[in-house]
Amino acid sequence: MGESVIEEMKPFFEPKAVAIIGATDKRGKVGNVIFENFRRNKERGIFRGNVYPVNPKLDEIEGYRVYHSVKDLPDDTDLAVIAIPARFVPPTMREIAEKGIKSVVIITGGFGELGEEGKRMEREILEVARENGIRVIGPNCVGVYVPDTGVDTVFLPEEKMDRPKSGPIAFVSQSGAFAAAMLDWAAMAGVGIGKMVSYGNKLDVDDADLMEYFLHDDTIKVVTFYIEGVKDGRKFIDSARKITRVKPVIALKSGRSEYGARAASSHTGSLAGADTIYDAVFKQTGIIRAEDFEHMFDLAKAFAALGHKLPKGDKVGIITDGGGAGVMASDAVAKFGLKMAELSEDTLRFLKDNFPPHAVAGNPTDVVGDTDAERYRIAIEGFVKDPNVDAIVVIVLFQVPLLDEEKIIDILAEYQKKSDKPIVAVAMGGKKTNHYAGMLEERGVPVYPTPERGVRALAGLVGYARYLKKA
Amino acid sequence: MKEEALKVINEVLSSGRTALVEYEAKQVLKAYGLPVPEEKLARNLDEALRYAEEIGYPVAMKLMSPQILHKSDAKVVILNVKSPEELREKWEVIHENARNYRPDAEILGVLIAPMLRVGREVIIGVTEDPQFGHAIMFGLGGIFVEILKDVTFRIVPITERDARKMIREIKAYPILAGARGEEPADTDAIVDLLLKVSELVNDLRDYIREMDLNPVFVYEKGRGAVVVDARIILKAPR
Repeated sequence: MGESVIEEMKPFFEPKAVAIIGATDKRGKVGNVIFENFRRNKERGIFRGNVYPVNPKLDEIEGYRVYHSVKDLPDDTDLAVIAIPARFVPPTMREIAEKGIKSVVIITGGFGELGEEGKRMEREILEVARENGIRVIGPNCVGVYVPDTGVDTVFLPEEKMDRPKSGPIAFVSQSGAFAAAMLDWAAMAGVGIGKMVSYGNKLDVDDADLMEYFLHDDTIKVVTFYIEGVKDGRKFIDSARKITRVKPVIALKSGRSEYGARAASSHTGSLAGADTIYDAVFKQTGIIRAEDFEHMFDLAKAFAALGHKLPKGDKVGIITDGGGAGVMASDAVAKFGLKMAELSEDTLRFLKDNFPPHAVAGNPTDVVGDTDAERYRIAIEGFVKDPNVDAIVVIVLFQVPLLDEEKIIDILAEYQKKSDKPIVAVAMGGKKTNHYAGMLEERGVPVYPTPERGVRALAGLVGYARYLKKA
Repeated sequence: MKEEALKVINEVLSSGRTALVEYEAKQVLKAYGLPVPEEKLARNLDEALRYAEEIGYPVAMKLMSPQILHKSDAKVVILNVKSPEELREKWEVIHENARNYRPDAEILGVLIAPMLRVGREVIIGVTEDPQFGHAIMFGLGGIFVEILKDVTFRIVPITERDARKMIREIKAYPILAGARGEEPADTDAIVDLLLKVSELVNDLRDYIREMDLNPVFVYEKGRGAVVVDARIILKAPR
């Protein structure tokens, strides 16, 4: 493993030429959507490789020459995307092997998940792959999405599913439906996804391979996984240990309930559920476990923005323009195992000297409802300089009348940039707030819609920083 | 270490069993340096009397039979035997109880053990997960494990840091740290136990299916710990 995996996996993410086996001109068909994805991305200048539709019954689609068989494909083809009925896949794999193509995404479903015959075909495919050094993603998956290179095998049409912009987050999902829904959501939320892989039945390429790849992929800063089950536990542990020392890995594991009645003769055996074991694996390998989908992306967002300046300790300073929100944030600090920073005498004096008498210097510091952006600046300046503060949560209720939105965004972005302490923002509100939150995120400040979620994301950073220190 | 443990394991397997009785399990643990009481297996009453004399009264008596793995259900554990006279009497009682519980019970002997000072009870266990292999468990004994299921797992082998984290992350940790004015427990001794169990299982992963050290008494800081009872289940030979 290591270098060889990187080379083997490269064509999945930046192919020179992609063959779409099963490409068709029939709208809405899987083979049509995938072809259209590549065709459009090529026209947009994002996909720079060649696009070769393969279909024995067609000569041309949208001005593209259609190849009648894999044999006829040009020699620069280095990625094959298969979207034909299951029973044709094994013979097609043999042709692919003969042609010398080494990377294959099998979109087609109806294999191992459907029973014996499907499993037999999977074994046949795997055998061909192993004998010929072919790497396979799938079957039964939506495959790969890479906004930077225009690779997009997701068979949900653009008209029905938005694609997210590029960013430093890699997203890996066993489930195709979940992957698609997530991409759509990420597009709306403005979360940037650098690479998405949905591997479905995980016949060949698995979590461990992907961790190995992302470890060496400089465009990726955070890796998120949606996992249902791991096949090779040892390989998973080894790869996870390697990558988490360099990049944070966040996992959402479904199936939290206990495994039914597993025969156990010991006390310990009866207490070990699948979930407790996954918990152990995640703890030991430094993988951060997400409670749910929201948590996963809250964490990913925090790491993407702040991974380069993790908090040095667990002492949190809170600045707010609303008393209630400050209390909620303080509660969350206790709930997620962090500590409230005790401000130094110097900081308290600095705040009191510069605040009007009705603003509250302390932790939380309440700049109160008549605040302007400048009062926030004073508070942030004080917190950033205080050696007792490791991380700062700034709650901005954009609704208050005297607050200049652009100015407070500038101030937060400025301090995020020049201070080595991570700053997380919380903005509660509706449409207008969301608009400013979006602007703030563009400037490198992760924003959360509730104090609880903001503090929980921060707790993820603290936990990972602690892991790195001891790893 | 491994050779000694394997000798015990192979003997059990060659007699067609996969469950070790307490005495055998403790031999395996002892081979890896785990703290077990100074106890001896008496095959007859004379041996029992001699061992009890060596150990010093009062003693505990535990009847060892492959057919009786739940010893307290069968009433084959008798504590606090104070004199040779009492031992003679209880020798009969314990055998009768065994016969009543399982008339076909094969009796390997009676373990004569010192009466231990009670410490804080913890449980250390091992189970095998189909994907990740052997996992080690830690928790406080009694209601904490039975009702609250306040336990934590790690995949074997573990590091010292894993072991320390395991101890700290159970909810009942304050009981070990010394709640309500109690002296703190010897957590270093627990770390040592966890690491030794991890090493044992890592060495013998092809043989061991499940394991319970339950209870383990942990004493005050610096006073160590001792495995009071132990079970080991082997994998059926292929």
